[in-house]
Amino acid sequence: MMDPTCEQAKALMAAAWMPGELNEAQASWLHMHLTGCAACSEEMVLLGNMWQRLGDLPVPEPSPALRERWEQTLQALTVPQYTHARPAARSAWWRNFWPANPAWQMAIAALCLAVGLGAGFSMHRGDAERDEVARLRDEVASTKEMVALSLLQQQSAVDRLRGVDYSARMPSMEPQVISALVQAVNLDANVNVRLAAIDALGKVANNTRVLESFQEALPRENSPMVQAALIDYFVQAHDRNAVGTIQDLVAKPDVNPTVRERATYAVHQLAQ
Amino acid sequence: MSTVNTSSDHELMTAVAGGDLHSMSELYERRHKALFRFFFRLSGRQSPAEDLTHEVFLRMIRYRHTYQSGEMFEAWMYRIARNVFADHTKKHRLEIPAAEGQMEMIESSRPTPHDSAVKEQDLTLLRRALRELPAEKRELIVLSRFQGLSYEAMGRILGCESGTVKVRVFRAMKEMGQVFHNLRREKAS
Repeated sequence: MMDPTCEQAKALMAAAWMPGELNEAQASWLHMHLTGCAACSEEMVLLGNMWQRLGDLPVPEPSPALRERWEQTLQALTVPQYTHARPAARSAWWRNFWPANPAWQMAIAALCLAVGLGAGFSMHRGDAERDEVARLRDEVASTKEMVALSLLQQQSAVDRLRGVDYSARMPSMEPQVISALVQAVNLDANVNVRLAAIDALGKVANNTRVLESFQEALPRENSPMVQAALIDYFVQAHDRNAVGTIQDLVAKPDVNPTVRERATYAVHQLAQ
Repeated sequence: MSTVNTSSDHELMTAVAGGDLHSMSELYERRHKALFRFFFRLSGRQSPAEDLTHEVFLRMIRYRHTYQSGEMFEAWMYRIARNVFADHTKKHRLEIPAAEGQMEMIESSRPTPHDSAVKEQDLTLLRRALRELPAEKRELIVLSRFQGLSYEAMGRILGCESGTVKVRVFRAMKEMGQVFHNLRREKAS
């Protein structure tokens, strides 16, 4: 069995290797013990030498790229989040245009009403043929929409991809189609479907609902490719409201380095 | 002209926790090299050591709200660093760090002594002995010998008494000594 004083000596030997860790009383106790214990004394010499030699190992230095990467990241994280600066400017412009005098305000309102009524009457005079063509066109559009929506609900990812493709080819996107595509971006299990849906929604890049929904989708998204596509979407739409969401992604420790670079770049672009 | 920031690490981190992310710059200046060296000694590789260093600072920002007012910054930082390294090892299954062939060597800037060949050989064996230690023992030696931490500070990081840390460091050194002598014997035979 090990002598308890030897066990105590081990802690003091480790303390002796480091400057300032051993007080006078401990140093003298250790000295006494080492004088009388050959085994501890031998360990002290051997391990003490090794401790010293560890100090001869060269000191590693980080590359300059590490600092550059950090500076870029910090810059992206410290860009202020942009809020509604533009609408405020627009309302100021409108205030200048709109007369303060109530009489003028009433006159402008009456003029608008008269123009509206006139335009309504002239449009109503359209012939029956034109109405029929418009009705047929609507029917075709709604059939296409139904096909697209139905394909987007299929179990097979290939069919859902076809549904996305079909939606993308439509001349204009109805709210129902937009909703289905947004749902695909948020919930579809297949990365290709999510990517294709983001691509298809590029047509309505200024749609507030789509942008808001993408801001919710980005933190949940696991695929680096989809994350990158969402970031590109925000840049394309110049959505400054997304800066905070992108910054959060940059700060995530486990985010893909390429996505982080792209996100950092996006924050710079949106800040301009 | 650059000004010297005299705020303590704790003051800077408190400012970061309060939303002043610019204070992170100074903390980075003060701490990034030590963290890089910590990760390099543990992993033996330059590029992962840099990635992990970067990640520690990102986690500090991300989890800044968890920084407590009575906390010691250094202990908090190293606890994050240990978690980052544990996650990295789990992800990359790097329980055993770079083998000798894969080990990235660092050029020594120290003047070469006349018996450099023997000394260099010893240093290589020493480096290998450190690498071959189990992860938790390697970490003990890295923290005590290379990071300049007191046993008390290590106790705060590892969550144990400083007396326990001393005994564990002694045992880690003893095991390293055995590995070193075995390697030396192998080399001689």
